[in-house]
Amino acid sequence: MPLKREAGWYKDAIIYQVHVRTFFDSNGDGIGDFHGLAQRLDYVQEIGVSAIWLMPFFPSPLRDDGYDISDYKSVHPCYGTLEDFKTFLSNAHDRGIRVIIEMVANHTSDQHPWFLESRSSQDNPKRDWYVWSDTDTTYSGTRIIFVDTEMSNWAWDPISKSYYWHRFFSHQPDLNYDNRAVREEMWNVMKFWLELGVDGFRLDAVPYLIEREGTTCENLPETHEVIRELRKKVDDQFPGAILLAEANQWPADLRPYFGNGDEFHMAFHFPLMPRMFMGLRLEDRKPITEILQQTPEIPASCQWCLFLRNHDELTLEMVTDIERDYMYDIYASDKTMRLNLGIRRRLAPLLDNDRRRIELMNGMLMSLPGTPIIYYGDEIGMGDNIYLGDRNGVRTPMQWSGGWNGGFSTADPESLYSPPILNPVYGYQAVNVLSQKRTEHSLLSWMKHIMRIRRSSPVFGSGSIEFLYPANHRVLAYVRQLEKETVLVVNNLSSAAQAVELDLRRYKGNILIEMFGRNIFPRIGDLPYLLTIGPYQFYWFRLRRI
Amino acid sequence: MAEETLLTDDFLRQLINVGEVDILVGLRTHNNAKTIEPVIRAIQTGILKCFPRERAVIINADGGSQDGTPELVIGASIDDVWSVSKVYALRTLHSISTRYARSPEPGTALRTILAAADLLRAKACVVVSPDSTTIEPDWLQRLVRPVYNDNFDLVSPIYRRQKFEGVLMRNLLYPMTRAIYGYRVREPYASEFAISGRLATDFLTKETWNDERSRIGPEICLTITAITGKYRVCQSFLGTKAQPDRSASDLVAAMRRTVGALFSSLDSDFPLWSTIAGSQPVPTLGAESEVILEPVRVNRKRLREMFATGVAQLEPVFRSILSASTLSELQRIATLEVSEFNYPADVWAKSVFEFAASYHKSVINRDHIIQALVPLYRGRILTLLRENRDGSGEDIERSLESLCGEFERLKPYLLEVWADRK
Repeated sequence: MPLKREAGWYKDAIIYQVHVRTFFDSNGDGIGDFHGLAQRLDYVQEIGVSAIWLMPFFPSPLRDDGYDISDYKSVHPCYGTLEDFKTFLSNAHDRGIRVIIEMVANHTSDQHPWFLESRSSQDNPKRDWYVWSDTDTTYSGTRIIFVDTEMSNWAWDPISKSYYWHRFFSHQPDLNYDNRAVREEMWNVMKFWLELGVDGFRLDAVPYLIEREGTTCENLPETHEVIRELRKKVDDQFPGAILLAEANQWPADLRPYFGNGDEFHMAFHFPLMPRMFMGLRLEDRKPITEILQQTPEIPASCQWCLFLRNHDELTLEMVTDIERDYMYDIYASDKTMRLNLGIRRRLAPLLDNDRRRIELMNGMLMSLPGTPIIYYGDEIGMGDNIYLGDRNGVRTPMQWSGGWNGGFSTADPESLYSPPILNPVYGYQAVNVLSQKRTEHSLLSWMKHIMRIRRSSPVFGSGSIEFLYPANHRVLAYVRQLEKETVLVVNNLSSAAQAVELDLRRYKGNILIEMFGRNIFPRIGDLPYLLTIGPYQFYWFRLRRI
Repeated sequence: MAEETLLTDDFLRQLINVGEVDILVGLRTHNNAKTIEPVIRAIQTGILKCFPRERAVIINADGGSQDGTPELVIGASIDDVWSVSKVYALRTLHSISTRYARSPEPGTALRTILAAADLLRAKACVVVSPDSTTIEPDWLQRLVRPVYNDNFDLVSPIYRRQKFEGVLMRNLLYPMTRAIYGYRVREPYASEFAISGRLATDFLTKETWNDERSRIGPEICLTITAITGKYRVCQSFLGTKAQPDRSASDLVAAMRRTVGALFSSLDSDFPLWSTIAGSQPVPTLGAESEVILEPVRVNRKRLREMFATGVAQLEPVFRSILSASTLSELQRIATLEVSEFNYPADVWAKSVFEFAASYHKSVINRDHIIQALVPLYRGRILTLLRENRDGSGEDIERSLESLCGEFERLKPYLLEVWADRK
């Protein structure tokens, strides 16, 4: 039964990103499936998230982990059937968990019947569903995204003897959104899943939908027109369902994707994420406050999506050259860790498995303005395998226990879709759900705790933010406020204890209640409020006037 | 170790906010509003350009400016660096200021900066003069890099100077320091230099801070501490040094600050320097000392008059300072006309050594001894002007080397008068 979709539900949500393939294998074939995912919904519910974002699970040649779709209205046989999906969706809703799925709208697989038809002859009715050209010099002002693998955005098709446009891998031809029929068909796809009950879509590679000569072919007005059209249909026919934009852009370029509240409900804040890592290693709030200062206001109904890690590389497209060099040197000194313009590592290894830093980063994730997304496995501190190709190193099997295959599958280890992590630090015998469930002070227990506290106040999801700028630059402090609720957040980005004086005079008379331990701190007076704060420590204080 | 009383509570609060740093840039100011802004801008640009990842702070120790100098230091925003130089700041760069006294005291200012460096555990501490208007952002790199990357403890500057600039340095401070301590440090009294954290801490713990010499001429004491403490010393070529306008009366004060401090150091360091013979070069990074051959207008006649008048009027003083032979030689020189005036290097070296020995024995008030050296120094300048009027850069260098040779050759004479003079 679909969950009732209250307006703005996504603003207070905590999203858990998971790939069906990686989560739990119910039939022993070495690949995770919907039955398995459904069986593990109790765990998802228990950690305290309110929504699941599923990576692509559609039929696909799997040359880009499912982002190369060959059939939009079905389920890849490895993961089960459409019926299995429906069962999973129903079970998730029964637990109050919403489900957001992928909508890879920009491109298909070159094995999709639409493309096979399109390339079959120049006069095929579907010829115009993709972007074709007689030369490879059209749209020459467009950057190449996968610089490590692609030389051009055009690929030669020997069958129809012309070039087709692709912003990503050459086996992922871009759909032609100037063609009305394409737009109609993509809406039909979305409608299909919405009618089944999904709660929204994460639209992949949004800025690239439309191409125009003489432009960068990104963020074009015509692209926004396509989005507005989709949004209107969603609102009219499936109110409460959401659209989440994947647009790896600078904040000013991202802002238009919210429109006047008539385009996306949510968008990932890509530039913030690397700056959180940067601020932590620099022990300086500057990168974080600077990017948030540059972040424009968004309509009240809209929301940023914040994340620390996801299924892709830690992208460094939205940083300056000097920042990128710094990030590479600090977080990816081994060049094997680098991919395209990014770093393919998970959260725990990036932070040297330092529990204090992992907690601080999650603390910021949960308290900065936006809806947090947790990548599966990061809640227990899973590691990665940088020796697997592409981004597969961060897509290894979920580690459920210290037993056979980490409890992920009963199959022979050799037949798993990916080798599990085995090393003594991050391997499943050391890091797994079962052992962490048994320990009150495990990372998993702590993550549940912080999510519980975040859920206790709507101020985190919907409140305003005001940065305090104490003279100590190692301290990132801000006040979140929603109606009468005020929360003060103080983060120490430094590996050393810090003293900080906060100008809280406007809150004079309030006492501070530390939200984790519920301890009372002294009343705010006329003098600067002096706090001492341990290495990588953070405080969330609820302000109360008693 | 920093003394509690040296740092005000407000300054301490600022230091807490800055936290540990890699590079500390110190600025000792007193009414430098006219020149401070380009200096700050160059420092900021230098840090952001050459040390973008390092934690840095600019610390201003102000001696009671009335012209808003500290406000200009604090108000210099790195955003301006971005708009002018397109250099991006990866991290926060603090500029903080403290007023250490109501009137300038170079020693207290340096001590304040070193105390901050000690507390903030700075790996490299650079001091830059607030009136160095010719400073380039690269100066920072040239001063800091040898400390930060190559483990030197003191980086002394070398400048490109006009032919007759820095004459006190070239005619007295350099030759004498070189002869006494055996190291060829061209600018022993430097207004720009860099030191390592360990030298800063060591120098800070010296018990000489309340001495006159550390109070008025801490730079030369620092150089001597580095040399005598066997710290790793090098020189780095910076570029053209702007020469601030100074009136003639400044010369007496400058000699008190520099020569006084140098003479004073000889007292305590005697066991060290008395056994040193000759001198050794120190590693030099970048170009060697350069001379710009621009014509200068100097009133030679007046210099001669000041020398002759001084020799005549100060004869009673000189009798207690100089040997009879040296005084007699000076009296002979005083009779020479400008066209034939010559105060030879060996006589000059002997004069200086006799002054140093008299200073050691305090035959008269030490201040008066330094003051009495001033007319002789003017005579030496006149000789320099005459000898090098048409000289090339190489000629001037050769003449300097010869002068240093005389100081080194006559060092046994210093030991002699040091021991004998009553």
